[in-house]
Amino acid sequence: MTKKNFQEFTIRPEVERLLEKAFDEGIETVWDRKRAQEPHCGFCELGLSCHICVMGPCRIDPFGDGPQRGVCGADADVMVARNFGRMIAAGSASHSDHGRDLVETLAAIGKGETGDYGIRDEAKLKRVAEELGIKTAGLDVAGQARALAELLGDDFSCRKKELAFIARAPQKRRDLWNKLGVTPRGIDREVVEMMHRTHMGVDNEAVSLLLHAARVSLSDGWGGSMIATELSDIIFGTPSPKKSQINMAVLKADQINILVHGHNPIVSEMIAWAVREPDMIAQAKAAGAAGINLAGLCCTGNEILMRQGVPMAGNHLMTELAIVTGAVEAIVVDYQCIMPSLVQIASCYHTKIVTTSPKAHFAGATHIEFDIHNARQKAKEVVRMAIAAYGSRNPDRVEIPGKPVELMSGFSNEAVLAALGGSLTPLIEAITSGKIRGAVGVVGCNNPKVKHDSGHVGLTRELIKRDILVLDTGCAAAAHGMSGLKMPEAADLAGPGLSAVCKALGIPPVLHVGSCVDNTRIVHLCSLLANTLGVDISDLPVAAAAMEWYSEKAAAIGLYAVASGIFTVLGVVPPILGSKTVTGLAVKGLEDVFGATFAVEPDPLKAADLIDARIRTKRVALGLTP
Amino acid sequence: MVEKTVIVRPELCVGCMQCMIRCAEAHSESKSLFAAVGEEILAKPRIHIGVGPEQKPFPNKCRHCEPAPCQEACMPGAIRSDIFTGLKVVDQARCIHCGMCSMACPYYVIRYYHDAKAPGGRSIAIKCDGCFERQEAGLVPACVLACKTGALTFEDVNAVQKQGTDRLAWAAYGVVRS
Repeated sequence: MTKKNFQEFTIRPEVERLLEKAFDEGIETVWDRKRAQEPHCGFCELGLSCHICVMGPCRIDPFGDGPQRGVCGADADVMVARNFGRMIAAGSASHSDHGRDLVETLAAIGKGETGDYGIRDEAKLKRVAEELGIKTAGLDVAGQARALAELLGDDFSCRKKELAFIARAPQKRRDLWNKLGVTPRGIDREVVEMMHRTHMGVDNEAVSLLLHAARVSLSDGWGGSMIATELSDIIFGTPSPKKSQINMAVLKADQINILVHGHNPIVSEMIAWAVREPDMIAQAKAAGAAGINLAGLCCTGNEILMRQGVPMAGNHLMTELAIVTGAVEAIVVDYQCIMPSLVQIASCYHTKIVTTSPKAHFAGATHIEFDIHNARQKAKEVVRMAIAAYGSRNPDRVEIPGKPVELMSGFSNEAVLAALGGSLTPLIEAITSGKIRGAVGVVGCNNPKVKHDSGHVGLTRELIKRDILVLDTGCAAAAHGMSGLKMPEAADLAGPGLSAVCKALGIPPVLHVGSCVDNTRIVHLCSLLANTLGVDISDLPVAAAAMEWYSEKAAAIGLYAVASGIFTVLGVVPPILGSKTVTGLAVKGLEDVFGATFAVEPDPLKAADLIDARIRTKRVALGLTP
Repeated sequence: MVEKTVIVRPELCVGCMQCMIRCAEAHSESKSLFAAVGEEILAKPRIHIGVGPEQKPFPNKCRHCEPAPCQEACMPGAIRSDIFTGLKVVDQARCIHCGMCSMACPYYVIRYYHDAKAPGGRSIAIKCDGCFERQEAGLVPACVLACKTGALTFEDVNAVQKQGTDRLAWAAYGVVRS
């Protein structure tokens, strides 16, 4: 490793300092591994390599001299589309499997099979059950839980013609999906069909593959992810506005620090409970600590921040560096976005990596498997393990740079509606008057290919200046939080219209909507707005941006946003440029199909211009001021 | 000033062809892969992977011979020694595509393609130019940067021979050393 100017890697001084510490201690980070991989494989970057069968593996020469088809005869269009289709399948499968775990938990609650989980929002349970056609009269809470779990469980089967929550989308949008043949029928079914279609010798036309990819993504956005969001609210409580803190400095040198990482609140909510138990706190004090300090990373951090106000330590590119503070006793993980390198880095410290999901084993970690029967007991076991590890902490290696930053969180749609007095009318009036010109979901991950947090923060600062409200989720939300954009005071950085609305309501110009599955709150809100106005989602002055995306899940979210009619800017190039057909569709042709496209624009200011232009066009078409 | 050259160790080649794609990129107009694949006259690699017995891959590129049979055969004097010391570089404006250089080359490293730098984009002799523009900018050749296995490195050939000499010394005394 060579010492570099760490300022180039991140906008956060605390992250810079931890990178220096990691370098001095000889610890390899994600940035080092990226450097070793460069230059990445050019064929793969273009989507022009295929390892689907062993007649290959194949590559197509984009410079025209070498092979122009794989061994099976697939050309660049087919190769790129098949690869992209599998990316969408993998991303959607991840979100939907998370949703499935919540369906199973709800079913267990309804059948009285678990003492560890219950219903915190009975009103939402009833509301959603009735929305989906369940007659709740005569059904107690357990009965409603069973009925809803059964109905949503059916979404995962192949017996339906359309998923339950599709009914939320505007009629025009549903008619369009029907016409295109992309209405999602079954969550597992669509993923299985994509794996089938991308087998050698099945679907060999780019447009056909991409339409099914859109269907797969819709089975995520209006299926698996939306189910995850709604059931998490029902089981763990619907988020309401609250204040908390974010940044590495939420770790406390005098306390036992436990981080939760991964996704499903099924695990993180149990840890949040366990750390507050008096017997656990007593044990911590007996071990010489002032208490137990819980903080979150990434999506599961978002979940317990939104619902419980638990602080967050950082986002994706900070997960390794949290260990480097030397102050973390345990990182408890379930699944998704957890770098396997955490195990190596933890072995340089006293930190325990605890895995909890049968689906996510990490070689070298300690596996303590959670299920619906033992979750609270296992949570305490994890906390006890952290307390035991505290004795091995080396205080000379502890450094927690920076200061915690205050932020507001908890803006579920229910909370937004409550803040507006129970109806969307005030929001619609703000939009029609031009005080709020539009709304943008600034979402997604971190990627070491992008200067850490620069894409999100650069774009959002510009959007709010232009009176555009920002809704955020995931790692982007953490980025905004650490930059101070999620406090009401940040309204001073917004344009005059947005600033006035925020100050009147006491809200920040950047509203935390939740974790990455909670991007479905945004499409749901768009749906509610569109239905109120009698238009389609593609008519709304809205957009989405994933400036630093890395994952297949993000690709699936981007596609369901576009397929739902939302213009989406990507800050990192997807592996499709090897096919002119696929690229042309993505950035232009889809406008005629879904009424929205992607754009690829790494520069945050240029991305803001593209979004502004889209919002302008839609406002004028609605007869509003640009 | 140590003169480095591209050293090829074929036994380390896995045939991934990254050297080819990055060579073409380095000789495109935009020098960036995503834009390069959209250029009107597509660039071409100057290094090629030959396929040998049992599909063993073999990286093959210009050795910049001295004297160079291609240069001696070139009638318009398009193959020049004066562009970068130690390199034989095709002058795109002078090449007339007569084919003499490829007939003379014992290594089959010269091919013919349309090139954006040739007047009118005409087809000319395309061969390794040592990435002299990259070298002038203090960078290693693109193929070397791309190679992940060490099959292509950028070293002083005499230093490589010294290492080999020491390996031989160990072997001569019955101790194998890598």
